[in-house]
Amino acid sequence: MEFQRRTAQLLHEDHQATVAIFETLEDMIVSAKRSTPDTTEASIRTALEQAIAAIDEEVSSHFAFEENELFTRLEDLGDTGIGEHLREEHQAILPISQQVAKLARRALEDGFSEVSWLEFRSQTGELIERMFAHIQKEEMALLPMLDDILDPETDMQLSENYTSNH
Amino acid sequence: MTSALSFLGGAKNRLLPADVPFSYFTAAAGFHVLAWMILLLGADDLPGFVGGPGLILAALHLLTLGVLVMTAMGAAFQLLPVATRQPLVRTWPARLSFWLFAPGSLILAYGMVDGTLAMLNVGAIGVGTGLAIFVILTADNLRRAGSMPLVAAHGWFALAALIGFAGLGFALIVDFDTGFLQHRQPIVLTHMLLAAFGFMGLLAFGFSHVLIPMFVLSRALPEKLGWLELALAVSAIVMSVVGMLLENVYAVASAAIIGLAASAVYILLMRTALRTSMRKRHGLSFVLIRFSWAMLMLSLFTALALSLEVPVPNGLTLFGFFLLAGWLLTFLTGVLQRIMPFLASLHAVNKSGAPPLLSELTAEGPLKLHAICHAAALVLCSIGIIVEAVALIRLGALSGLVGAIAFAAFTANVVLQLKRPKAS
Repeated sequence: MEFQRRTAQLLHEDHQATVAIFETLEDMIVSAKRSTPDTTEASIRTALEQAIAAIDEEVSSHFAFEENELFTRLEDLGDTGIGEHLREEHQAILPISQQVAKLARRALEDGFSEVSWLEFRSQTGELIERMFAHIQKEEMALLPMLDDILDPETDMQLSENYTSNH
Repeated sequence: MTSALSFLGGAKNRLLPADVPFSYFTAAAGFHVLAWMILLLGADDLPGFVGGPGLILAALHLLTLGVLVMTAMGAAFQLLPVATRQPLVRTWPARLSFWLFAPGSLILAYGMVDGTLAMLNVGAIGVGTGLAIFVILTADNLRRAGSMPLVAAHGWFALAALIGFAGLGFALIVDFDTGFLQHRQPIVLTHMLLAAFGFMGLLAFGFSHVLIPMFVLSRALPEKLGWLELALAVSAIVMSVVGMLLENVYAVASAAIIGLAASAVYILLMRTALRTSMRKRHGLSFVLIRFSWAMLMLSLFTALALSLEVPVPNGLTLFGFFLLAGWLLTFLTGVLQRIMPFLASLHAVNKSGAPPLLSELTAEGPLKLHAICHAAALVLCSIGIIVEAVALIRLGALSGLVGAIAFAAFTANVVLQLKRPKAS
């Protein structure tokens, strides 16, 4: 996708980065199959570190920006449905992502045990699925709407706010 | 949980009530089972079939009207308002269209078994009025569409083809009784070309510009190539119709070549979407979708060979099978297994009241079984048609039937998840 408004384009680029990181996690889970990954391996450490950084620094601020700056604008225009739906998805995604970050941090320190790996795999699987479906909806519905509703000035202001908080 | 009606357009209600698209999709799943079942019963007559009443004609229309057009109508009613960002003006006509078209298709197919005129007429009226409502609603939506000119243009040409194939279909039914058509076979072929390439093909191409990038999270496709694809596709369809009606082999051969060029541009565009996809894994649905693209090219190469009088055993039947079961049915089942859980996820809630996971709404086992059985059915029936081996066609139809039942189980699972009481 390519968007006319910079705000939409920035959110889209965030989505791309998030998908790439979560796909690396997915690769890790798929290639591990039933065995427990060795967290001393560089590729495993990188995948876990990137996931933690994305969750800590990107996901929360991305969600907060959407909720505070975008959904409110849509609601002011009388379009309450999309904001309500995406907020509910944020509420479902945030606790799982924080749990995944916590498990990843623990794994980086102590490695995975059989039990902790199973828990990590299960939580990460759900997070990946929820995140991809959520991004798909935002790419399909929210970002094209921003192209429609934002005037150039508001777009400039919003995109500056967004980049300054990243 | 947010109301189902609120997502994708909020106050403008671009998301229809779930029963509207799902009644079409569920009926299509049922017709899919029925089509393979009737083919199994009429397998003896498939090699060399070129038209005329009987089980094969019934199976053919259960597939084309019952599965392909039914799915296209359900998808168009739901997806066009999303793609064009224009709500459907009313939802009740979409429901009425279903209740005319679905029984009409069944009665029409029944009438085709032995050419019973009363059944043919009643069925044709149901199908015709259902389609007329569909044309009016879709045309109204396309008329208001400003944001997606390429998709809308595909839609307009598809509607024109629909009017053409429906008109010829009526003429063919009248001809069963009166025999007024002096050259029936060119009309039969034109009817099929307009339906398969004109209506279904253009809708599939048009929706692909929206759906494929959405499924794989890719960047927007180059619009100029999209217009080239449409221009080539429409030229090929017009040329094929002229060639058929004038019985001019050069025009038909040219149409096949232009059609191959249109399909090549379309596949190039779709490959661009896959190449620029944010996701690396596209899942089982894309195995089917990629396979369907190969079958599209194969059907056009077969058409070209036939127009150049290359001896292809039972070539016309083989061409029809590649086109309808190979390209369109495979493509639609691939797309449906993505659309149905996605749409359901916008309407359903899970046990905890949270938005459901797509994996909770899908059924991997039945979908894998369907893909294996469908591929086996295509291979076995194709070989059976070429070598005139009825046993192989029966085995293929049986495999298709098992696959269709598995796909129906997947559909039933999605619908049952939708009907689950919502958390308060």
